[in-house]
Amino acid sequence: MEIRLKNLTKCFPGNPKKGIPDTYAVNALDITIPDGKLVGLLGPSGCGKSTTLYMVAGLLEPSEGEIWFGDEDVTDLEPEKRGIGLVFQNYALYPHMTVYKNVAFPLTNLRIEEAVKDKDGNQVMDETGKPYIKKRKLTKDEIDKIVRETAKIVQIEQYLERKPNQLSGGQQQRVAIARALVKKPRVLLLDEPLSNLDARLRLQTREEIRRIQQSTGITTIFVTHDQEEAMSISDEIVVMKLGVEQQRGVPQEVYNNPVNKFVANFLGTPPINLFKGRVENNKLYIGNEVVREITEKDVPDQECTVGIRPEGIVVDPNGSFTFECERILTMGRDIMLVAEHPEATTNTKFIVDAFVEVSTGTVKCAVKPHKCFAFSLEGDELRII
Amino acid sequence: MAAVASKKGGFLDFFKNLFKRKERVSADAGERNNWKAWLYLAPVIILLAVFTFYPLINTIVIAFLKDYDYTTQVSAGFTFDNFLTVLTLAGKDEAQNLVYKWNTFYSAEAGGYVYQNGAELMKVYFQTDVLKYALPNTMVITFVTVPLSIIIALLISVCLHSIKAFQKIFQTIFFVPYVTNAVAVGMVFAVLFDSKGILNFLFGLGTEFYWIDHAASWGHGMIALCIYIVWHALPYKILIFLSALQNIDKQYYDAAKIDCAGKFKTFMNVTVPMLSPQILYIMITSFIGSFKEYTSVVGLFGSPSTDGGSTKNMYTIVYYVYDCLSGTTTVSRGAAAAVMLFIIIMIFTAIQFQVSKRRVHY
Repeated sequence: MEIRLKNLTKCFPGNPKKGIPDTYAVNALDITIPDGKLVGLLGPSGCGKSTTLYMVAGLLEPSEGEIWFGDEDVTDLEPEKRGIGLVFQNYALYPHMTVYKNVAFPLTNLRIEEAVKDKDGNQVMDETGKPYIKKRKLTKDEIDKIVRETAKIVQIEQYLERKPNQLSGGQQQRVAIARALVKKPRVLLLDEPLSNLDARLRLQTREEIRRIQQSTGITTIFVTHDQEEAMSISDEIVVMKLGVEQQRGVPQEVYNNPVNKFVANFLGTPPINLFKGRVENNKLYIGNEVVREITEKDVPDQECTVGIRPEGIVVDPNGSFTFECERILTMGRDIMLVAEHPEATTNTKFIVDAFVEVSTGTVKCAVKPHKCFAFSLEGDELRII
Repeated sequence: MAAVASKKGGFLDFFKNLFKRKERVSADAGERNNWKAWLYLAPVIILLAVFTFYPLINTIVIAFLKDYDYTTQVSAGFTFDNFLTVLTLAGKDEAQNLVYKWNTFYSAEAGGYVYQNGAELMKVYFQTDVLKYALPNTMVITFVTVPLSIIIALLISVCLHSIKAFQKIFQTIFFVPYVTNAVAVGMVFAVLFDSKGILNFLFGLGTEFYWIDHAASWGHGMIALCIYIVWHALPYKILIFLSALQNIDKQYYDAAKIDCAGKFKTFMNVTVPMLSPQILYIMITSFIGSFKEYTSVVGLFGSPSTDGGSTKNMYTIVYYVYDCLSGTTTVSRGAAAAVMLFIIIMIFTAIQFQVSKRRVHY
């Protein structure tokens, strides 16, 4: 099921008398989510990603815009009629029900349509000649079958008789996913699904989510503030800031070619290093040092912000870029240089291979051109190169 | 160390540590500070001892004293008669006489005294005020008003919780009965239920339909009484339920909505289980409260009956206890009734705790 958000806006009205302006949690969002894909909505807290998700779920009413599931306009449809599964941030499992009952609960509310058949197995027709269709509840056996199938997908079969508070965070999370999946939703929505888990479980569970999504093929929207999480499992990510979409694309593409300073700064751990710099004669300067030459296009001379990814430097005695290395942090696979630079906006961090020999003090290095960006100082701080 | 912990841990921990004294590794600091703990607890212990423990024990003792005189504090020793008297309105000797008296009667046809059968005898026993009125009335009041008031309070609090406008005003309105005196409210209800009152007028029942006076039937009197008790019991329950409702995470309702649960199903599957600790608390306290119902009868009827006091058809157990306290020689009878009520309440509370074990989700 393809999901299309058209000009989606959520405005929380302020109070003009007290001088509180309207708050736009989501502003004119246009996104198309392809059928069967896992899409990550990514942004810092308060960027409107959860609001977007709740609007898709139908729990919040959009102020403007439309939501389409395939060729059906669901903007004004009740949440229960949209056919969605939602996993809440804190899972919202019913604490008084066993895991089995939690998962079975959506099914007990379901009404399926079934063509009525007579004794001989022929379809009964109504007066207009159409098959006579009756709605009915699922039987206990049908519910049991579906619950056990779903439990198998998310691997919680052995916990079915337990209460949610007898489960670990990761298990609870899988129960929440099972409850969302059990009624075979058209769309699966995940609201910060990993934020309540510890680091190791997070790695494990995000792969689980990916596996479950791929095995069911349900179009999934996934909200997170953790860029690593989003990049690792999403088919596509949408980076948001203050209710406005900044960039959308395949995770690696967005990381490699950020459109503006915000996206470049938000993606990547440790974050990109930012310096005050300028473009002069198609050369990128930080202070008086040439960081790289601009060969791909002609750029007018201007002041700018230079961003260098932590992995974007090579220690090189002949390099053109100098900084004062303060500390060296060993990380096992790599080492991290924590450095000072007079033009840097914060202290800078670089990651180099562990076998490179460096010592604190002045370090000379070269910059990998494709890991170095320049951003305009004006407006949305768009990327120049 | 232990004494320091006990100060932090409060009342229960203090007593636990008190009994663990010998197990302490280092008792020095504890021994030195022990008197301080007692000092802090003294006000509560003294008040409890004087106004709770002593009366409680004394009541139980009095219940077993024979011919106890309240003014002279003299008694004729230990007896079980008081309990018998409560049930039969006769002491052991009196009961013997009664048995003899009611077992035999003069019959001209038989030409002498004839013995009655046992069933007839039982009838006599059940014609006492306690067995005929007080006990059944108390049971009816308890088993009608408690479930009814809990259900109504639950519905009102859910409605109050879901409205946005005027919520505070309605909360205040619903809380007014709680701060109003029971006797005063009873007088207002007496006016409402008067044969010329507004209730008969509204329902077009004329001026000859009696609820609470003119020897109104037991049923009418009980309906009026139950309505009054339920009305007076609502505010506290609404208060408890409303504050508990406000603590239920809204996400459960969002989840239920997405799970396609209807309003009623959400209420039964989310709201009620989430409120179950409060429902149990309310149930136990109001069961106890309605077993002790007395002021409402005084407030509404002014006497234990619908006809000014000759039949006592609105009697309750506690009303009987109060009646016993008015005479100097009947005090031990009242004490015995109080002890019996105490035992009944204990049994019911124990049953409720047992039944609730599986149904309450903390």
